Amino acid sequence: MRTDEELMLLFREGNREAFEELFSRHHRAVVRFAWRMTRDPSTAEEAAQEIFLRIARAAPSYRPTAKFTTWMYTIARRATLNYLRDTEEDGEKVPILQEGEGEEGAYLVQLPGPDDLNPERHVWEAQLGERFRTALGALPEGHRAAFVLNRGDGLSYEEVAQVLGVTVQAVKTRIFRAREMLLSRLSKDVSG
Amino acid sequence: MGCGDIRETISAWVDGEASPEEAARVREHLSSCEPCRVLERQMRAVGTGVLQIRGKVPDRFREAVFARLEAEGALPPGKKAYPLSWRWATVPLAAAAALGFFLLTSRETVLPPVPVSPVPSQGTAAALTSEDREMIALLDVLDDPAALDADGEAEGMEMLAPGVIADPPKPAGGGRSGA
Repeated sequence: MRTDEELMLLFREGNREAFEELFSRHHRAVVRFAWRMTRDPSTAEEAAQEIFLRIARAAPSYRPTAKFTTWMYTIARRATLNYLRDTEEDGEKVPILQEGEGEEGAYLVQLPGPDDLNPERHVWEAQLGERFRTALGALPEGHRAAFVLNRGDGLSYEEVAQVLGVTVQAVKTRIFRAREMLLSRLSKDVSG
Repeated sequence: MGCGDIRETISAWVDGEASPEEAARVREHLSSCEPCRVLERQMRAVGTGVLQIRGKVPDRFREAVFARLEAEGALPPGKKAYPLSWRWATVPLAAAAALGFFLLTSRETVLPPVPVSPVPSQGTAAALTSEDREMIALLDVLDDPAALDADGEAEGMEMLAPGVIADPPKPAGGGRSGA
């Protein structure tokens, strides 16, 4: 079986079937990523379509210097970011940070005490899914992207750093902050 | 090391991203800090929450993407999205047709055998040829095993269905010679 990188090179040379195979392999992950980043089904579909358009457009300049998936998620993140900015311009409040913003102390959250949030008792109750989606959507985009790419798509901190264009330490901090904010938000939902 | 200083490292440790030295520090801290053990469980739980958001591939998503790609000219022209459809469909279709023909013809060959016609009555004897008469005579002989058992080897042989007592063997030459 050909690797993703080999398929992308074949597509660059004009092989349509290679792109169809790449699409078959990755369209679910792309839709899932767009869904997690945007929360809105129609926006997610638009963004997911845009991601594949960008991949096809970028084929002539593709160089297999990194894993295909890292390159793909870089495109995916930029595409969803554009859609989120468009949504923000339409009047909805979507927190988006510039690179590096909020890394140091901007989101210091007092974590709930052990008695305030018991995940075994509360976190996975039936209604948690919607609460979790809301809490995830309230994260700054850079934190949400780091958290989703690592926990949702299985990218390592190093790969997340490549996708986001930041250092591994910044990824570590973003994911920790994302966890803090999610726990704080879910704790409030549970307690009140 | 205080709890506030190690929480970020606990988060990385939960994700399998802590160095061996960091992992050792986390394990040592957790062994003596109940609040951080609770926090560690919460971090793991919230980390799995994102997996519950799966989304759904929209209906006709593939068609929509490829239509846009083709409209832009971003896909190489010529071949269809499913280039093998009709050309290769003929192979299984031909195989299915051959199998169906075989089954139909096989049914004809395994039809139950035509029952043997009973011996014609005297009223139809006029229509019999000489070969027919010889065959009928031969069948009459077969009805009387003793006629073929000149050496008496068939004596006592059960010629009827198992369990049915046969008539005592007739003496040689006692067949229906008058037929």
